[in-house]
Amino acid sequence: MIEAHSLSKKYGPKTAVDDVTFTVRPGLVTGFLGPNGAGKSTTMRMIVGLDRPSGGSVTVNGKVYRDHAAPLHEVGVLLDAKAIHQGRSAYSHLLALGATHGIGASRVREVIEMTGLDTVAKKRVGGFSLGMGQRLGIAAAMLGDPSTLILDEPVNGLDPEGVMWVRELVRFLASEGRTVLLSSHLMSEMAQTADHIIVIGKGRIIADAPVADIVSGATTASVRAVSPRAAEMARLLNSPDVTITSIDGETLEIVGLTSAAVGEVAATNGIVLHELTPLRGSLEDAYMNLTADAVEYRTGVFDPANALQPAAHADPAKIDAPHEHTHAASHAAPTHAAPSGPEALR
Amino acid sequence: MSTATARRSTTLPSSPIRLTAGGIIRSEWIKLRSLRSTIWAYAVILVLQIAIGLLVISFTVSNLDSSRGQAILQSPELATAGATAGVVFAQLVVSVLGVLVISGEYSTGQIRSSFAAVPKRLPVLWAKLAVFGVVTFIVSLVGILLAYAVTYPILANAGHSSNLFDSAVFLPIIGAAGYLALIGMLALGLGAILRSTAGGIAASLGLLLVVPVIFALIPVDWAHSISDWLPGSVGPAIYQMSGTFEWWQALLIMIGWIAVVFAAAATLIRRRDA
Repeated sequence: MIEAHSLSKKYGPKTAVDDVTFTVRPGLVTGFLGPNGAGKSTTMRMIVGLDRPSGGSVTVNGKVYRDHAAPLHEVGVLLDAKAIHQGRSAYSHLLALGATHGIGASRVREVIEMTGLDTVAKKRVGGFSLGMGQRLGIAAAMLGDPSTLILDEPVNGLDPEGVMWVRELVRFLASEGRTVLLSSHLMSEMAQTADHIIVIGKGRIIADAPVADIVSGATTASVRAVSPRAAEMARLLNSPDVTITSIDGETLEIVGLTSAAVGEVAATNGIVLHELTPLRGSLEDAYMNLTADAVEYRTGVFDPANALQPAAHADPAKIDAPHEHTHAASHAAPTHAAPSGPEALR
Repeated sequence: MSTATARRSTTLPSSPIRLTAGGIIRSEWIKLRSLRSTIWAYAVILVLQIAIGLLVISFTVSNLDSSRGQAILQSPELATAGATAGVVFAQLVVSVLGVLVISGEYSTGQIRSSFAAVPKRLPVLWAKLAVFGVVTFIVSLVGILLAYAVTYPILANAGHSSNLFDSAVFLPIIGAAGYLALIGMLALGLGAILRSTAGGIAASLGLLLVVPVIFALIPVDWAHSISDWLPGSVGPAIYQMSGTFEWWQALLIMIGWIAVVFAAAATLIRRRDA
């Protein structure tokens, strides 16, 4: 259980974390989501006492982290894969870390085996790939068998098998009743791993809700209809509760009606439909909508042509678009800019 | 990796684990011995002590002329002159290693792992100080004793003999090892303040090599008086029993330097974000 109350962090004149209050509950995987520079890592560092809060407080299992008798048994933390001396072997690093708490070589071998580092354990960390560094960081986090795990971007640099492994591991750890907080700037990753999501942008909490609520709350379901008599359709569907956008001469985007209702209207009036697709917002869209005003580093001027690209990249990650092609332009509302180009979405 | 493997390895350990002072000291000992830089630096210290001791004594013995030769051979200082001759070079290596012990953690990010495990932070600093001080003292003492051992036969051949258990012999030897440990500890404190390898090495070697020269260039008496109090200047009083101060006064001055530097380091470590 992690409880943050009015937590703030200022670096000189810059506010990294601005008066955030949240609770991370045991038995759930809580996702900490936000664009780069939103304050995720700073908040995580404050939880384990590496950064001193400028205001407010944060406790783990009811106590400030530094007051625990066995900190590694309370919280296992993966801050970044490179928080390790490059000249030491993975085994020596874990042995030295564990020694502070009287954790012996047998537990060190256990976490090495568990993270699949057996073959490289005696090699110096300097030669590790990013993925191996992440595995070592996770091994270090698990060392004290902690009741709370804080993992900052744990899947960064992992191969697909590694990503799967982390996902299963955190889900399993939460099922054991542990508290799991993991951060990511990837909404799709969160959707597949987290039960609950805290969205942070520009140091403030934007949303704090179960995954499903985040999606439904921040996106509007719509229907796409393609017909040679689109203009006539638009006139027939028109009502105060319905918003109709004409994408091109034959394509309409309808918000406020179900696909069934649109189909009924078409049939009643003998209008031929070439396509009728219910569109549901993906998590990526929800995320973009939520953080549109809270992106720290914007990419220049908005260009509708470029806006197509991030959506196209995000496509494989969409979790609940029921039909194969979601018209990219439909969700690229002309008012929001991509956080930092296509990379931010991958 | 399957969930099954994860399940097996997340079972609770039978004995409750706790953060202890002994554990932190053990952790620092593991950290110190598991880096190549440590092994290299200590090896260099051993080799330097022996090689320079041999060089100095061989040179002294071969240049004994009849008139002053007997006087030199009679002097009690000759017994440890070779053994402690390497100190002036070894102190540079010890300083670099002392800085690296802490700056290496800051430059690699390791310090965040260390402080996450020991969130009160200062125990890490004290454990580093204790472990590095003790290990450096022991390695230095071994080096100096080896230098004494290899120069002993040369001196005996020339007609000078000494007894290691004579206080005029073992006190300077222990003093030299102690001085090296203290110089290394001072460098560790400077590294903790500056958090950078380059900065820490510049500061500690500057204090040993550059600052005395600057004071020597100022042509007033007080500058020379201050110069006598510098860490590098009080050293010879500890291991050669010569200079302005008695050996115990020199020792207190060294400890004073370390106390001031570590008071600053401890304050900064508590306040700063890691």
